[in-house]
Amino acid sequence: MIAFGCSITKPEVFRRCAEPGLRRAAEPDSEVYARAATGPIARSYNALLDAAAERTDLEALVLVHQDAEIVDADLCATIRACLSDPDVGVVGCCGAIGVRSIAWWEASVTLASFVNRYDDHGGGDLESFSWRWEEAPPYAQTGEVETLDGFVLALSPWAVRNVRFDEALGAFHGYDLDYCLQVREAGRKVMTADFRAIHHRPLEMVPDPEEWIAAHIAVAEKWDGRMPGIGTAAGDWHDRALRAEAERDLALAIAHTKQLEMQARRREAERALAETRGSISWRITAPFRRRTRSPA
Amino acid sequence: MADHRPVPPAHPVAGLIAFASSIIDGAAYTRYARPGIRAAAEPGAAVLAYEAVGTVCQSNNVLLDVAARHHDLEALVLVEEHVAIDDPELCAKVRAAFRDPDVAVAGWMGAAGVRSLAWWEGRISCGPVVVRYDQHGGGVLPAHAWTETDAPPASVDAVDGRLMALSPWAVRNLRFDEALSLGYGYDLDFCLQARAAGRKVQTAAFRAVHHHSLELIADRELWVEGHIQIAEKWNGSLLGGGAAEGDWKARARRAEAERDAARTLAYSSATLLDAHVEPLERELEAMTTSGSWRATAPLRALNRLRRRES
Repeated sequence: MIAFGCSITKPEVFRRCAEPGLRRAAEPDSEVYARAATGPIARSYNALLDAAAERTDLEALVLVHQDAEIVDADLCATIRACLSDPDVGVVGCCGAIGVRSIAWWEASVTLASFVNRYDDHGGGDLESFSWRWEEAPPYAQTGEVETLDGFVLALSPWAVRNVRFDEALGAFHGYDLDYCLQVREAGRKVMTADFRAIHHRPLEMVPDPEEWIAAHIAVAEKWDGRMPGIGTAAGDWHDRALRAEAERDLALAIAHTKQLEMQARRREAERALAETRGSISWRITAPFRRRTRSPA
Repeated sequence: MADHRPVPPAHPVAGLIAFASSIIDGAAYTRYARPGIRAAAEPGAAVLAYEAVGTVCQSNNVLLDVAARHHDLEALVLVEEHVAIDDPELCAKVRAAFRDPDVAVAGWMGAAGVRSLAWWEGRISCGPVVVRYDQHGGGVLPAHAWTETDAPPASVDAVDGRLMALSPWAVRNLRFDEALSLGYGYDLDFCLQARAAGRKVQTAAFRAVHHHSLELIADRELWVEGHIQIAEKWNGSLLGGGAAEGDWKARARRAEAERDAARTLAYSSATLLDAHVEPLERELEAMTTSGSWRATAPLRALNRLRRRES
């Protein structure tokens, strides 16, 4: 039995986003644990793990964020195939290698089979690079990774019964990386698989920078020396501090530049639209366009 | 080796606001800086325009050396070649700034609460300055359009060096630090030297146009090294941020986290840019690929031709 779990803080979001995907992917005998959150995500997820662990027929537990919508009706078959290797502990549709911190997207992302569906700025879909295989870059691949994006995670029965989300890390950020590190530390594999999901979320990636920074530090402190690459960097602490501060300020300057570009591009487009709308040729052809649009 | 020792005044200051530029791109100087200087300078004012030598610090020190020989120097206005002064009142504003004898440097934009080479991350004070850019069809944006700024005058930690006025004291007693071999932060360092000597730095409402790309930092890797150079020189003193040996770990952890948050912010900004502008660009494309627009293309071509001939 493949079970599904979702921790809910906003029932409306769950009904609109996660629920349709669960209905699409769940099998007739699937247990769906759609429960109100009991605190930070780690604690809520651990409650779901405790519930699922009681099922002796458990094949996998698929954890879904309330704003994540599974696209594939055959997800269970994909998960079964992946978990047929008993060494696999956790599976996702977006993962990376070369991970140094909770900002795993700064590492070498190997698979990102999701769409970011946003409502801001009139709404739209931002397709990640392996959403369509025919358009995917050559480095897009399924396989073993170091971490997964936690918005959809499929856990093996071994993981459900032996690994718990770390409730000491904070409210939200970094819980997924930490879980994957625990799985790998226990000698199991973290894998990406070929399934897709829609992430219904705003484009802003770090709306709560102080919480995010605290989680970044907490994960680095926890894993430095335990897992290669995490929390480490070249140089002594003095060198690391000065270099990171410089790189931080550079990144902020790049963000400012992007905002300036946005203003410049918007002005360019608005100017061109106004010129086009105000032109004689656009105005004299208005009746033809109206006729084209009007019903026959 | 150039002698950059300050030149003592032989006579009391009598009143001359000089202008100076070191020139790398002669065409840019001729097009932007020179007309602005000519319009702003008072009759008989010295305009020092010299070819750049070595780094920006070396070049500016040459200008200071020459200016210091003017015994009647009232102020020296350093103008970068892409800056077009657009302010007939500039000299009056310079005089107003230096009415306080403790003021050593007055600039068109600066900030308080500066912690690093990225002075613009502090509280910005900026006059009527616009950036004229060529990208995206060209246009004009207010300087620092990504954030709010305070109006000058304001007492600040540092000013941007591309348009700044120096008092005679600064011209004769301070020099740009040529050990900052990468050139980044020459202006911040100069202002910190002035403040370390007990003098003030402030912004003034200089009106100007900066002809510049929208990109704030062109050579990113070098800029990072320049940032480190400045931090090594000033950390623990005027820039704050000193750390005892044991605290460097905490500082590094925090900085690495802030760096990754800032990178993510930059990434978010890029996607926001697309989300914000693409609907407009799609609308424009739909209009300009419509049948009626294409059908009237000869009419527009004819109009363009007529306008050109008239």
